[in-house]
Amino acid sequence: MLQLRPAGLASRFCAFSLDLLIRLSLLYAVAIAAVVMGGIGVAIWFILIFALEWLYPVIFELTQSGATPGKRAMGLKVVMDSGLPITPAASLTRNLLRAADFLPLIYGFGVVSVLVRRDFKRLGDLAAATLVVYRLQPASRVAFGDVEPLEPAMSIAPRDQAALIALAARAPRLTDDRLDELAALAAPISGDTGQSGPEVTLRVLAVAHWLLGRS
Amino acid sequence: MRPLQFERLYQAEWDELETLLAGLQANSARKHRAAVQAERFAALYRRACDHLALARARAYPAYLIERLEHLTADAHQVIYRRRELGWARLKTLAAVDFPCAVRAHAPYVWIALAVFAVPTLVFGALVYVRQELILAVVDPATVADFERMYSSAADSLGRTRTADTDWQMFGYYIRNNIGVAFQCFASGLFAGVGSLFFLAFNGALGGAVAGYLTDRGLAPTFYSFVVTHAAFELTAIVLAGAAGLRIGHALLAPGRQTRALALVVAARESIVIVYGVTVMLLVAAAIEAFWSSSARIAPPVKYGVAAVCWTAMLGYLTLQGRRAG
Repeated sequence: MLQLRPAGLASRFCAFSLDLLIRLSLLYAVAIAAVVMGGIGVAIWFILIFALEWLYPVIFELTQSGATPGKRAMGLKVVMDSGLPITPAASLTRNLLRAADFLPLIYGFGVVSVLVRRDFKRLGDLAAATLVVYRLQPASRVAFGDVEPLEPAMSIAPRDQAALIALAARAPRLTDDRLDELAALAAPISGDTGQSGPEVTLRVLAVAHWLLGRS
Repeated sequence: MRPLQFERLYQAEWDELETLLAGLQANSARKHRAAVQAERFAALYRRACDHLALARARAYPAYLIERLEHLTADAHQVIYRRRELGWARLKTLAAVDFPCAVRAHAPYVWIALAVFAVPTLVFGALVYVRQELILAVVDPATVADFERMYSSAADSLGRTRTADTDWQMFGYYIRNNIGVAFQCFASGLFAGVGSLFFLAFNGALGGAVAGYLTDRGLAPTFYSFVVTHAAFELTAIVLAGAAGLRIGHALLAPGRQTRALALVVAARESIVIVYGVTVMLLVAAAIEAFWSSSARIAPPVKYGVAAVCWTAMLGYLTLQGRRAG
């Protein structure tokens, strides 16, 4: 029922690089402040290294968005296998096991695992039962042009009805020639079998609008 | 029913669900008001699921299906969001779950302890007898560092340390020790070999240094320094290794489950140990930086406190939460 689209290596690599950039700049900023503060500054700096290394992803994954800033920028988020929001235990597991993914060289095992598996899981995802998926994009609102509906000349199977309505929705984004070409295939429904041209296209679209329920 | 009719008919319900959803996702004041309407929210969610199934079965236009998919997916996330972070949860973790998880992993803990303790004792004895063997584990510069740290000379540990250095070391211990423990856990994923290696290596290192310093006659400074925080630090490293071994074992011998499922179950159960280990190492870092290193505290006091810490730690791990668990 619920549809999840796992994210592949390329987008995850970009997300990781962005996060790395954020982490490094944070580290540099605090390093400058730490020099002034002395001992406590050094303590804060060490604790920050620790937190950025191990806890940065955990903290962000447990927020509403379920993603680190890098992942959010790439339109990704982390969810459980079931599509539910990630649990604290799972987030900690996948991020601690990052250390195993990192071996033997710069994410060697992690990259192999992502490339080999159909659901693009790295080792940490396997153990934590999590998935990195694409966030759903905001729903697109389709504007159907202003056309007078026309009753079809024949009965149309549900699948073909859906195809016609999809064609009408895509019509504004197609070139006129391509639209004519496609509409010619559906010409029988408006009683124009074997014909093509702008008028036929208009009538085919009119039938699509009738199918949508416009009156 | 035609798509547009369908949309007109149920539009109001979807809009209402969207409004409630926005309230639940936004700040807490509105969340409270929205929570009152939970029943309505759940009913609308179920209706939207019905509508999505109908729309898909009737091959309605993509924009309609897409809208319903978004609506149901978002509502699903809100309804099934699990709140595991809270004081009540932390309390049961500390009072029941963590010590029970440790006891449930007893075989792994014993193996981890053996893999850690045997190299400690062997290397300790070896280096004590043949001093130059220390160079098998660390390089000469580090040996010199250790000797200077624990010598009774003026610049040794604790004598000239200021509050500033204490803080500095606190940060260092957190980063270093907790990192080692996490690595010890994570590398268990490779059939447990990584955990075994880190346990044995850290054991050998500690044993060799102890043996060397004892031989050089620096035992009083060294043991009074390490004995208190060791109660938390050494136990934590052994427990982290045990958690790693559990994961490795699940992969090697999944039993009647698939390997993937066995791994998920093992990770879910052993991560509870890692929670406890993290807290123990935070405590250890604080003690190591502010108590162990302080020269103002006489060694007998340190040994007394250490005895209390060890008893408390072992008592906690063996007895705490038995009734509830």
